[in-house]
Amino acid sequence: MAALLVGASLAACGTTDDEGGSGGGGGGDDAACAGKIGAMGALSGPNASIVIPSVNGAKLALSQFLEENSDCDIELVPFDSEGDAAKATPLASQIADDADFLGVIGGAFSGETRATKGIFDEAGVTMISQSATATDLTTEDVKKVFHRVVGYDDIQGEAVATYISDTLGATKPFVVDNSEAYGEPLAATVISSLGDAVAGTDKTQVGQTEFSATISKIEAADADAVFYAGYIAEAAPLLKQIRDAGLEIPVVFPDGVYGADFPKAAGSAGEGAIITCPCVPIEDGEFSSDYEAEFGEKPGAYAAEGFDAMTVFLDAIKSGATDRAAVAEFVNSYDEPGLTKQIKFDDKGDISVDNVVIWSYKVEGDVLVPDQEISLS
Amino acid sequence: MIGALDSLVLVPMVNWDNLFSDIPGHTVDGLTRGAIYALVALGYTLVYGVMRLINFAHSEVFMVGTWAVLGIYTAIGAAEGDPLWFVIIATLLALIGAMLASAGTALVVERVAYKPLRKKNAPPLIFLITAIGCSLVLLEIFGQVLKVFFGEPFGRKPISIPSLVKTRQLIGPNGALIQTDVVTITNMQVIVFFGAVVMMFALDFFVNRSRLGRGVRAVAQDPETAALMGVNQDRIFMLVFILGGAMAGVAALLYTMQFDGTKFDVGFIIGVKAFTAAVLGGIGNLRGALLGGLLLGVVEVYASTLFDSSWADVTAFILLVLVLMVRPTGILGESLGKARA
Repeated sequence: MAALLVGASLAACGTTDDEGGSGGGGGGDDAACAGKIGAMGALSGPNASIVIPSVNGAKLALSQFLEENSDCDIELVPFDSEGDAAKATPLASQIADDADFLGVIGGAFSGETRATKGIFDEAGVTMISQSATATDLTTEDVKKVFHRVVGYDDIQGEAVATYISDTLGATKPFVVDNSEAYGEPLAATVISSLGDAVAGTDKTQVGQTEFSATISKIEAADADAVFYAGYIAEAAPLLKQIRDAGLEIPVVFPDGVYGADFPKAAGSAGEGAIITCPCVPIEDGEFSSDYEAEFGEKPGAYAAEGFDAMTVFLDAIKSGATDRAAVAEFVNSYDEPGLTKQIKFDDKGDISVDNVVIWSYKVEGDVLVPDQEISLS
Repeated sequence: MIGALDSLVLVPMVNWDNLFSDIPGHTVDGLTRGAIYALVALGYTLVYGVMRLINFAHSEVFMVGTWAVLGIYTAIGAAEGDPLWFVIIATLLALIGAMLASAGTALVVERVAYKPLRKKNAPPLIFLITAIGCSLVLLEIFGQVLKVFFGEPFGRKPISIPSLVKTRQLIGPNGALIQTDVVTITNMQVIVFFGAVVMMFALDFFVNRSRLGRGVRAVAQDPETAALMGVNQDRIFMLVFILGGAMAGVAALLYTMQFDGTKFDVGFIIGVKAFTAAVLGGIGNLRGALLGGLLLGVVEVYASTLFDSSWADVTAFILLVLVLMVRPTGILGESLGKARA
């Protein structure tokens, strides 16, 4: 009910056009610099290492902001969805029902984002995702509240295809996906970009641990590279079994595997595995050292993207936006350089394709080392 | 619209070539997969045969075994590339440790959860819900509780276990023993399959030939008469849980050797599959568990190659339904007590 009321008030005042510019203080000067921002994603579970660094990045943005603006009272509240759409839905309602929440960072994964963007839209809570990359999030069932600071899977899929055919020089790549909302469309893009070169395909299941059938298909196809579109929990055993079968061909994974836990789970088989990600490598610099000082480790997956997403919200609140409608308006007209790229959203909530970058990383020992930027043609 | 039609046509892409180009190889893969199902299925079938109880906590009994392997490797500092004599000792220690841990867990579940219920003559439904409860408790002990006290590696992440025995081809294009293109068999597949089969025959021999085994069969046939003849029913129940748990421990070692890792919920899927295998072969029947497990493994691999890997479960369960329509008690029937078992 509360959500409905807020939604109605948003509709009433959501008609004014953007006033252009950013940073320029809008509303009354006395407006309290206060509010809560939610961060929703898998903070526990096998895929948590893909999400926790980005939430830490957001925390860092907040603590640096509060040092400079000690009169502000802004809180970042994490919500652990375990990456599960069913668990994310009640969390979204909880955020939507609490009028103190002006925005939410997330959802971290595409499935939970798809399940909750309707709830946030109804309540007018602006979402800025640091890592939900499914293409259809901004093309199907479009919700005005959704934004993201990363490129989407169609771009990543094309980049993966470019990497496989140009950088690896593979002529008979084999494509496997995890039969689920993230992997399936991503694999489909890769397959269509690779065209006739694809030597074969297979679909696995979430929770599967035994891949002998997939591997016998890879062997039968005489493939010279493998791409697996899925998450860490299945990617690690699949890679091990590929290596155990004596196949020394390159194996490429997408950003669903870009987490510090992947090398640990894959053990010695992980060495040399390639991971693509629309996330920018963190050069040793101010952000990296600040992050390490705060959390005792190097910034991991999407840390800088989380920082950027939080910065947008902080700028909004600082500009005097005290309610959800004002924050939404501010975010829609935002145009500032972020850590990772120029942050400016188009009317679907996406970053401009010109600003998207896709990088490949290689597993070396226990860490993911930036390899090269993949050219987007 | 066109997209929808396309996907309708594309979904079950039957690929006969994939299946028939390498039938022997797929069969070996399937038998290896099925051997582990069969070992775990023994636990379900033993407990059901004697107590008419489906012990859903058995999947977690298996899971505890995999953690015991990790614990022992860590304790003795086993790592990849160790010399052969050390690998053999480490593996034997891991075998004993996993069997003790799994059997101990099964025994604790029986003593703490089921025995009090039995004393109060609780109806079967109460046992069933208690079993599911035990399963979740054990799951969360490894997924949450132990992490609070001991930190990593406990928790919800997949954990790598050192693979002491490197996978090598024995028979195949690069085989160490025989070079052939007909079939590929690795040392790991041989270890898993024969390890499982030997343990199953040992158990079968124990139940059919030993004095204690006679007690197990007597209680399964007719608990009251067995009690009148001087069989201590309580001790037989404990024995059944210990035997089933020990088999799950062996399965846990073989599983970790093959897949080099574990996770707090590693038992779930294996448990479901093993239970299915037990029902398929005839629950309560030891040889049925073996047959059901191997058959399920082979059918899954055939289905994965014929369609996509994601079709394995669908096909396996269709097979289960079909078999139960013709033989409602499973392929070999369900009695542990009858002369057959």
